[in-house]
Amino acid sequence: MNRLLYLLKRILLAIPVLLLGTTATFAIIRLGPLNPAAAIVGPVNSAQAQERLERIEEQLGLNDPIHVQYAEYITDLFTFDLGQSWVVYPGQDTVSLLAQFGPRTIWLGLWAVLIPVFIGIPLGIYAGLNVNTNRDYAASITGIVWRAMPNFWLAVILLALLSRSDTLFLGSGWESFIIETEIVGAPDLSSLGTPEGFVTATKQILPAAFVLGSASMGNELRLSRTAVLEIINEDFIDTAQAVGVSRRRLIGKHVLRNAMIPLIPVITSEAYILVGGSVLVEVVFGINGIGTLFFDAMTAGDLPLAGSLMFVFILLTVCINIMQDILYTLIDPRIGYEER
Amino acid sequence: MSDPVPQHEPDSTPQSRLERLPLTPTRAWVLVAVLLVLPQVGALLQFLTTSLPVGSTATQVTDQVPVLLSRETIPNQGVHVPGEGWQGTFLGLSPAVVWLLRLVLVYAYGFLCLYWLWRGYLLYRARYRTASWTPLDDGVRRFRQHRWGQFGLLVVLSFLILALFAPAVSPTSLEENVIDPNSNELRYYDDTTGQIETTTVFAANLDSTSQGIPDRHIGPLSYDKYDRFHPFGTLPSGQDLFTQVALGSRISLFIGLVAILISSVISAALALISAYYGGWIDLGIVLLSDATQSLPQLLVVIMLSVVLSQTWIAGLYNGGALLALIFALTGWPSLWRAIRGPALQVSERTWVDAADSYGLPPLTTMRRHIFPYIVGYLLVYASMNLGGIIIGTAGLSFLGLGISPPTPEWGRLVDVGQPLLTTESWHIATIPGVLIVIVVTGFNALGDGVRDAIDAETELENEEETTTAASGAGG
Repeated sequence: MNRLLYLLKRILLAIPVLLLGTTATFAIIRLGPLNPAAAIVGPVNSAQAQERLERIEEQLGLNDPIHVQYAEYITDLFTFDLGQSWVVYPGQDTVSLLAQFGPRTIWLGLWAVLIPVFIGIPLGIYAGLNVNTNRDYAASITGIVWRAMPNFWLAVILLALLSRSDTLFLGSGWESFIIETEIVGAPDLSSLGTPEGFVTATKQILPAAFVLGSASMGNELRLSRTAVLEIINEDFIDTAQAVGVSRRRLIGKHVLRNAMIPLIPVITSEAYILVGGSVLVEVVFGINGIGTLFFDAMTAGDLPLAGSLMFVFILLTVCINIMQDILYTLIDPRIGYEER
Repeated sequence: MSDPVPQHEPDSTPQSRLERLPLTPTRAWVLVAVLLVLPQVGALLQFLTTSLPVGSTATQVTDQVPVLLSRETIPNQGVHVPGEGWQGTFLGLSPAVVWLLRLVLVYAYGFLCLYWLWRGYLLYRARYRTASWTPLDDGVRRFRQHRWGQFGLLVVLSFLILALFAPAVSPTSLEENVIDPNSNELRYYDDTTGQIETTTVFAANLDSTSQGIPDRHIGPLSYDKYDRFHPFGTLPSGQDLFTQVALGSRISLFIGLVAILISSVISAALALISAYYGGWIDLGIVLLSDATQSLPQLLVVIMLSVVLSQTWIAGLYNGGALLALIFALTGWPSLWRAIRGPALQVSERTWVDAADSYGLPPLTTMRRHIFPYIVGYLLVYASMNLGGIIIGTAGLSFLGLGISPPTPEWGRLVDVGQPLLTTESWHIATIPGVLIVIVVTGFNALGDGVRDAIDAETELENEEETTTAASGAGG
């Protein structure tokens, strides 16, 4: 099987996955014990509320037979007719809500992927090159504890430390560090183009991104350490050493490049965890992104909005999966020739 | 086994009589079992009568049976009269010492029981097992040299003992301290009147709150005004933090174990099926697992726990049963992915072909000739996923979903303590969080140890799977 065919097969397989995932969401929302219309209206204690309930039921098509509802639900979502919000932001279009809340979550996710890559991987490589020394143990144990730390707890602790940072770090607190910002709150992304706006927005997102990326940082540290260890024991490293390749060149060209292969899919699959994990971090840091939007929609009983958001999340994870496979095939030419 | 036959000799001294007792290792092991059960027989009976429908008279009878390791036998609540010392506590010791004593005794008892189990296994291996060697022996031997895995085992066992003996190690009970403080009374020595007074636990709690100001703060390892000892300090409501932490470990363990058990069964069955049949069936299961994983786990858990919050199942164990079920139904793909590889490898071996051509039914082949080889992997990933579930449960409770009061939960304690983190009462949010980190690290370390014990050579692909497994629900 050649690579193009392999990729095509992967993309084809993504369609039933998307369909199954959406069907599960449909089942939870429409077949579950919670009636979406009743959740929107709340307690029905007056004739007006009763009338409103019936009107919303009509509008959502809840009175149709279930297969009609299903067909309508699926076609609506697959044609990107994501409906509207009913409770949290009544009447607002889901797409416009996504445009409004999305950038903040993407900004958070971007940094949450970048921070672990630039801290976790170098630390892991360092540990792998100095294996079984105290420096290696220190780095490894940091990674292990890092992975075991619940995001929400780390967020709470970090928030407390930052708000007390002026007393802990000799007068200069986090709030006045480089640029005056609030610790809690959404970053201002309107002036991202200007240097000052960029620094402000970055500084505001850093603590949250650091927390969100913490688990990935531990994972990447651990994996890059093992990857380096594996490569360093290969025969071609001995050969290169024997023909007199310098240590710098040996590590840079022969070790690191090969160690990167198993790491790239890991980084993309981290993006996966970030999609779900952002809820807790956004709630603690007061960033009103998509995670908070989903959480608010769910707790307020805005099931149509939550369902549409879930579809977007499913689409996102499926796309990440396909992207990962594309990267895989680009990096490792062996893939596709054998059945994986 | 040759038991010495007792003979009657007129001039036998007590010493030689003891030697002639028919005490084989097996009988000694059974004798120790009886000795170990005796101090806790009351607790066992109470558990049986409260969980089985036998009527209130039986419950009353069993409540009279003394339990050695309990708050009743070793009481830590007393009155401190200046000049006279402690009254009402165990042996007149201070509540702190009594509490510590009980904690040490409980842990000694717990580890003794575990050691007894270990001796039992060794005994079985030496005397009763027909095979002189099995692959498990090598695994056990490797694990006995794996310090990191042993650390994990120690942490996990300590967590188990804490959960199992939570009422016995707590300085007070949930019933008295949280659920019904108004009808429980408390005796204490009043400095102003110079006499022993009585008040309700409710009033005492109101006067021993931790709210971040010097007047209202009971930190770890300190007494309140009512002579009560708080090993972890108090909550903002004045309730004892240690009691809630100890009882909170129960629900974490319950959810973790039930969820991992169900998803292990699902994933093992599916892995066997996809390895044995392959082809379209395998592809179908791949699609099912991909679809389940395409829904972000934490978000589905939030969604399901809201949608199902009004149903009867959400009432079981204050939402614990529901959460366990949700985590099981959303968590099986990661387990299945991890054991599908090994199962596929085994299914290509010649002995599976041989079993097939011999005419064994497929189910028997799977159970007898593939399953034993993937149990170890299942154990590794189950241990690692368990940490993720504990974190996920705590995260949900932190958000106010999941476990509802009065059942204590570690995540909710963090939520309660969060506003006070920058004040004096920082202990409330910190202690449960640190415990979560330790317990999850323990489960991960145990998983590492078991993996290294199963196959000595670490494979990178293996490592990749465990790593993603360990980060779990992303909470």
